[in-house]
Amino acid sequence: MGLEQYAVNTLVELAPVFATFYLVALGHSLFEKAGLLDLAIDGVFFMGSSIAVRAAVASGSPVVGTVVTAIAVMFLGIALAFLMTSLPISHGAIGLSMMFLGYGIGIIVGYPARLEVGSIAMYAYSEGESMAIMAISIAIGVAVHIILKYTKLGASIRACGENPHAAASLGVNVLLTRLIAGAAGFAIMGAGSSFFTLAWQKFWDPKSYTLGYGWLAFTVALTSGRHPMILVPISLIFGGLTFYRVKIGVMYGVEKDVANLVPFIAALIAMLVCYATKLKNILAPPTSLGKVYYREERTV
Amino acid sequence: MSYEYVVLKEISKKFAGGVKALDKVTIEIRTGEVLALLGENGAGKSTLVKILYGVYSADEGTIYINEKRVDISSPAEAIRHGIVMVSQHPQLIDTLSVAENLALGLKAFNAFTSIKKVSKFISEKSGKFGVKIDPWEKVWRLTYTQKQLVEMIRAMLLNARVVLLDEALTYLPLEEKRKFYKFIKEFTAKGGSAVIITHKIPEALEAADRIAILRRGRLVGIIEGGSARIDDVRKMMFGESAAEITYGKLQASQPGEEAVIETQDLWITGDFGENAVRGVSLRVREGEVVGIAGIVGNGQRELTQALAGLRKVSRGRILIGGRDVTNRGVRVVREMGVGYIPDSPLAFGISIDNSMTENIAALYQRKSMLVNWSEVREVASSLIEAYKIMIPDAGSLIKVLSGGNIMKVIVSKEINYCRRALIAHNPTRALDEVSAIMVRKSIKERAISDGVAVLLVSEDLDEIYQVSDSIYVMNSGKLYGPFPPDEAERSNVEHLMVI
Ligand SMILES: Nc1ncnc2c1ncn2[C@@H]1O[C@H](COP(=O)(O)OP(=O)(O)O)[C@@H](O)[C@H]1O
Ligand SMILES: [Mg+2]
Repeated sequence: MGLEQYAVNTLVELAPVFATFYLVALGHSLFEKAGLLDLAIDGVFFMGSSIAVRAAVASGSPVVGTVVTAIAVMFLGIALAFLMTSLPISHGAIGLSMMFLGYGIGIIVGYPARLEVGSIAMYAYSEGESMAIMAISIAIGVAVHIILKYTKLGASIRACGENPHAAASLGVNVLLTRLIAGAAGFAIMGAGSSFFTLAWQKFWDPKSYTLGYGWLAFTVALTSGRHPMILVPISLIFGGLTFYRVKIGVMYGVEKDVANLVPFIAALIAMLVCYATKLKNILAPPTSLGKVYYREERTV
Repeated sequence: MSYEYVVLKEISKKFAGGVKALDKVTIEIRTGEVLALLGENGAGKSTLVKILYGVYSADEGTIYINEKRVDISSPAEAIRHGIVMVSQHPQLIDTLSVAENLALGLKAFNAFTSIKKVSKFISEKSGKFGVKIDPWEKVWRLTYTQKQLVEMIRAMLLNARVVLLDEALTYLPLEEKRKFYKFIKEFTAKGGSAVIITHKIPEALEAADRIAILRRGRLVGIIEGGSARIDDVRKMMFGESAAEITYGKLQASQPGEEAVIETQDLWITGDFGENAVRGVSLRVREGEVVGIAGIVGNGQRELTQALAGLRKVSRGRILIGGRDVTNRGVRVVREMGVGYIPDSPLAFGISIDNSMTENIAALYQRKSMLVNWSEVREVASSLIEAYKIMIPDAGSLIKVLSGGNIMKVIVSKEINYCRRALIAHNPTRALDEVSAIMVRKSIKERAISDGVAVLLVSEDLDEIYQVSDSIYVMNSGKLYGPFPPDEAERSNVEHLMVI
């Protein structure tokens, strides 16, 4: 097998892993760019991956699975954005509650599908579709990047993340802007989470919420400074580490459980590098990320 | 002909915590007029204009625009009615470019309009108003004056019919202030209206067609600008306390021999790598008040920050009480009993998301691991009483206070904290006249009775002359002086400030 062929095979193999991490981190980043702290990510990830299975099994089509998941998760994003913007309560508390809700809903939704069919392989995406999934994911990323950086809507989203009070004073409808970011961000997250079960694992397990892959996507977003383009290589690296950790383990002769830690250790190192160096200025989080926005409060 | 474009009718507003900020205020804004809104700190001025701009909503009362009853529930809505507010602290997003900031409110552009297009529009339009701004520049790189200019341009681009200037000119250097007033005159000559809030009564008398006075949430009266006398205005604003206002020189101190604050050939680099302070040597003796006059941006900020230990010195020495503290950091300086009233009070002087007691504890209680809260509360209540701070109670968050009352908290805790020296940069800015005079008196009092060495940096020459025992002028990073105040002619000092 030539080197070229090997590279292509690797890419095909990694594409669904990449798409999962990339889209979940991308949607999460878009949400947070608007100043909304997203601690629900891991629950949403598991819930999305379960809804995808149920919808794919019911309809017989993985594409329907992805679309239904995107729409379902989108509504959750809208709800979160609404609560976090219009009530003076902690983003962290709402987010974590939603995370547990997501675990619960995930199990309730996913289990019947699993009982119905033994394997979901025949409802999943085929290998031949992997590259298309990857290409579409990157295309979505490019679109998000262009909107964020070059349009008025993008400026509004960033303004809401930096200083929502000033943004409102400048004429931005903060609630509407955040609802848009919440809807789009969570729809993208939903799509990403559907690829976890339908393209990467091709398998649904009620305990997969213990894997913490949602938190890995969280780290991917953090390490990339929530930048849609920087997310591409970082998602690839983390995807690769996660996917090949067993091989890496065998190569260096370490235990399986230790090998499982590899991506998390990498995440730790990445975060340390980010925050100990000048990178932290470039990749700085939105100033008002997670701050309660309550209109009667004095700021102007 | 001039007519009543906006009518605010019987507006009342009560805040959580029971503060009645406005009580049935009725006021109209006519086309083509400059309306000055005056009142002591906490009178309700900001609350009133914020209601008109849709930042707050009134509990009671109605707003009419062009005789139609309107409901303004957000700034976006106010902008639609041609009302734009500019406040004391620029409400711009630092990490965004000028064009991005301005695009946010412009209805002419839809969500997917490219910023490039907006930039072109801004360049063209701002040229027409006779100002040059680079639409691509990131806002954090602008000076304060440039930011306020951007805010004014924004009002013009939004086709404002009414601009609300809530102490928007307070922090501007004199020269710039004049330009802004000229700009406002031109705007009103074309039929626009301006509401200006200021603590400088002479300024208001000069610029305003009408003057409205608020006191404790009520409208006390409206007088025509031409016929207004400064003493009457003061009476209406402050009632009995107006008698405390004086600009006469305060009692001189008897300085000791020892220098408490001393700098030797100090050189400091500014934010953009320039030499902001060039070879400054000065001495402030025990019990002495030394004033540094000068136009903003001539190195004063860098000098006071370095003295407080917040900025690195590139050459020279700083001695406090004879001890070399050059580049030793803020903690060492503060623990020697040095009070510091910073130039950007909200950035360095206080944490507005915390309460008054927490802010005091952070400064006063450094010695032990545990905070003695009863001691802190005692300090807080004595300051609230002495400085007449309008605050629901000492545990209230700072951010719910009016701008002037926030300043009073900062200033009073520093004046009370200092044992050896006080570095005060524009300590009375944003304070009304009665409060400003009270603050000056207490600074002088600490110098005279406790021997505190005071370095007062101020743009306000009245203030410099009123309290200083000795005067320097700072210009382009260099220090001229010292001059004894009785001999230093004002015109000479002013000349040194601008050459
Ligand atoms: N968001 C708020 N929450 C609670 N109290 C407030 C708020 N904004 C203003 N106040 C109170 O209302 C009163 C009037 O404040 P303000 O209108 O800012 O005064 P000023 O005339 O100095 O501008 C003050 O006592 C202030 O503490
Ligand atoms: Mg005010």
